[in-house]
Amino acid sequence: MADLQKVSEIIFDYIKTKGDIKADFSINETETNEITMKDGKFTLFRTLFDNDIAIKVIKDNKKAATSINKFDKETIEKAIDEVIASAEAGSPDECFDIAPGLEPKEFFGKALTPDIEKLMNRTLELSEDIAARHKKILLIEMFAKYVRGRSIFINTNGTRDDSEYGYYEVAVEFAGNDGTASTGIAGSFLRFDNLDERLIDLGSIERDLQDAENSLNPIKISDKFEGDVILTPSCAAQMIGGTLMNSVSDYVLISKTSLWLDKLGEQVASPLLTVRNKPWDERIVVHEVHTADGFRAEDYDLIEKGVLKSFAASLYAANKCKVKPAPCSGFYLVVDAGETPYDDMVKSVKRGLIVGSVSAGAPGANGEISGVAKNAFYVENGEIKGAVIETMISGNLFDMLKNIKAISKEQTCDGMMVMPSLLVGDVTIQGN
Amino acid sequence: MPEDILTGQKSLFETGVQTVLRGQENRIRKISIQNGNLVTNARSEGSGICARVYLKGAYGFASTAEYSAEAAAKTIKAATENAKYLDKFNSEKKNAYPMIANSYVTSPRMIIDYEQKKLVDICKEVDAYIEKNYTDLLSRAVSYDEVTMEKIIVTSDAADGHVAYPRCRIIVDLGMKSRDGQPVELFKMFFGCGHAGEYFADLNPIYEGIDELYKNLKDKANGVYAEAGLKTVILHPDVAGMIAHEAVGHTVEADLVQGGSVAGANLGKQVASELVSIVDFAHTALGKDAPFPVYLDDEGVVAKDAVLVENGILKGFMHDRESALFYGAEPCGNARGYEFSDEPLIRMRNTAVLPGKDKLEDMIASVDDGYYLLGTGNGQADLTGEFMFGITCGYEIKNGKIGRAILDTTVSGIAFDMLKTVDMVSDSMIWWAGMCGKKQMMPVSTGGPAIKCKITIGGR
Repeated sequence: MADLQKVSEIIFDYIKTKGDIKADFSINETETNEITMKDGKFTLFRTLFDNDIAIKVIKDNKKAATSINKFDKETIEKAIDEVIASAEAGSPDECFDIAPGLEPKEFFGKALTPDIEKLMNRTLELSEDIAARHKKILLIEMFAKYVRGRSIFINTNGTRDDSEYGYYEVAVEFAGNDGTASTGIAGSFLRFDNLDERLIDLGSIERDLQDAENSLNPIKISDKFEGDVILTPSCAAQMIGGTLMNSVSDYVLISKTSLWLDKLGEQVASPLLTVRNKPWDERIVVHEVHTADGFRAEDYDLIEKGVLKSFAASLYAANKCKVKPAPCSGFYLVVDAGETPYDDMVKSVKRGLIVGSVSAGAPGANGEISGVAKNAFYVENGEIKGAVIETMISGNLFDMLKNIKAISKEQTCDGMMVMPSLLVGDVTIQGN
Repeated sequence: MPEDILTGQKSLFETGVQTVLRGQENRIRKISIQNGNLVTNARSEGSGICARVYLKGAYGFASTAEYSAEAAAKTIKAATENAKYLDKFNSEKKNAYPMIANSYVTSPRMIIDYEQKKLVDICKEVDAYIEKNYTDLLSRAVSYDEVTMEKIIVTSDAADGHVAYPRCRIIVDLGMKSRDGQPVELFKMFFGCGHAGEYFADLNPIYEGIDELYKNLKDKANGVYAEAGLKTVILHPDVAGMIAHEAVGHTVEADLVQGGSVAGANLGKQVASELVSIVDFAHTALGKDAPFPVYLDDEGVVAKDAVLVENGILKGFMHDRESALFYGAEPCGNARGYEFSDEPLIRMRNTAVLPGKDKLEDMIASVDDGYYLLGTGNGQADLTGEFMFGITCGYEIKNGKIGRAILDTTVSGIAFDMLKTVDMVSDSMIWWAGMCGKKQMMPVSTGGPAIKCKITIGGR
């Protein structure tokens, strides 16, 4: 293992020789063990050792950033010289800044000691469980990994964060397949911090497998109508994420294309919807320690009962747009559960779809979206009639948030987000 | 890239296994000017060594960020131990791959690294042109990105080599308010397989492209929703290239064929109109350098073209050495990894529909009621061949003439059904520089002529 303290001293001491510069840097060391399984057999075992240094400098109000993956003094000093030269080539902007100095702090995650043998066994067990419980599933590929990392973050205002983290992940790719017909490729992903439970019982793996099995022999819808759509938790995350990127992120704030630019404190969604960004939620496996600008990361609300409470602005965008910087940089979406049991939600649909994901072009700032409904099921008079193929849905993301009619009591957690199902009205559904 | 310290490590390869040692450096340069603000000004360098060892049906793999003879030795040892560890779980032992004749391959083009100031100045010049000439925009963004890879490949039983993949792109994104006050946007990409000094020394072609982009954006601001349904369309080469990559290319990657792709049962069968031929070019396409030339893959296979569809017949799949052995085919050099720590996967290179004999103007004139679809931002397809592409720029065609612009929409279909409806193919050929995200990111290029076909359009 590298001496991160010594590396940090090399960086800090060299930056100090460069005069009046604001800077922050992080030093990371990771070890990853990853297993690949194909067709029920282990086919690849990888052990990866990586380093990373990310340095940001602001000189004369000009900013630049660099990253390298070497810890030797010569490479580090060359990178610092280059990033300062990059900054000098930039444009001055008083909105560039770093966070003020904070008391040094240490952070430790949960899964700091791996059990690779047990991970192998859990992975093998998952493939056996799938084979036993889901006869019409073709398991295409499965990846299971453990990542262990150490990190130091320092800025020239005096902040120092030391953190250690570890986590497991599993990604499963599969298709419904009965020997003659195959569905499209489906997947399930999970991040977790212990190996206590069977993997098939975690996250949405079991449900995703059932959906793929039930998607064989799909029916076709031949007409076009306005209907209700139930967004599964992963599809809800896709839609809410797409909306947020086009309404509260740096790009649309700085370009002033966000339709929510002047909507802070106003109703932008159904009163049923509360969207929180919670890096410290106990269900989120890897916590964000500090923001990209060096503030200690904290939970905050983006939308509360349909009212826009905050933008997801970096310090630069916040200074530029005269808004508050967001208390964390990533998206760790936790959407509050509703009061409607999922089964009741399905029963309430007169005519519509349950949609597992939408294969669509990236929506623009106006929120318009149309795409193919994937892992989707046709619902009529409260009954699921069967999977559909070649069916598109169209609408506007901003309208969809306003047209939420119910939110499920049940939530799904994949270690990176916590999400219920959403029932959305007035969506255009078009068969072939 | 440091000197070749890897070839000397061959003596550490164990007998009875098949080993590839790879040294790799990736350089990334990113600049972004948004509404006149330089918001991104970044560089990164990442390099290291990896080793992959094949033993009786399973692989051991290891990588390290260090680049030294000592690190190489440790990496070979760790990968070999990982292969032996997996062998304990392996109840069905497989044969070794057939040997490939040893040779040493180099690419003719190496990487030239420019100082950041030159790149920033290019972006500032482009941004200044937009600001000066187009004052009614809501937003403008100029982005430069450069992803270059350099690899040293040393194998136990295939070719060795030292190859480089330089590529630079400028992306211009413009936005304005539509007639009903909604923001609409369009982007255009300019790129080259090489360095900024070579492709962006003369900015006039970019200015001409921006002029065209602005005109399309003005039209789109007054655009209408497309009418939903199965329509006759002319797909611009950018969109046709996306079909070659997403809707056909992925379904004929042999690992996905083994996963149940629709292509598996269609080898040797008619899957498209006789006018359609699709090739995954290695490094030279139609007598010119391909936009992302690959000379040697990460398994030490000397790269050559993979013919996928010929006159509408599905002729073959893309392979790595393992799948080639399984299908009794010859590998064409499609196995590539993105970072030094990535194992090679079956990836496309320069995948294109081949040009036909029709003139674009004749194709448009032949459509009574349909659409000309010019721009796409992204696309997806799955194992069934069901695909979708986002359409960011398009026009109505009425009675053989271009009509009103349309707003953003999506097209979809089943690839092998849609390709059978192709009845005209233009004699033009345009390439596009994209990134493919199959487990790892990977620079690829797609290309094609304009094609006339029937396709399902989503609408309001």
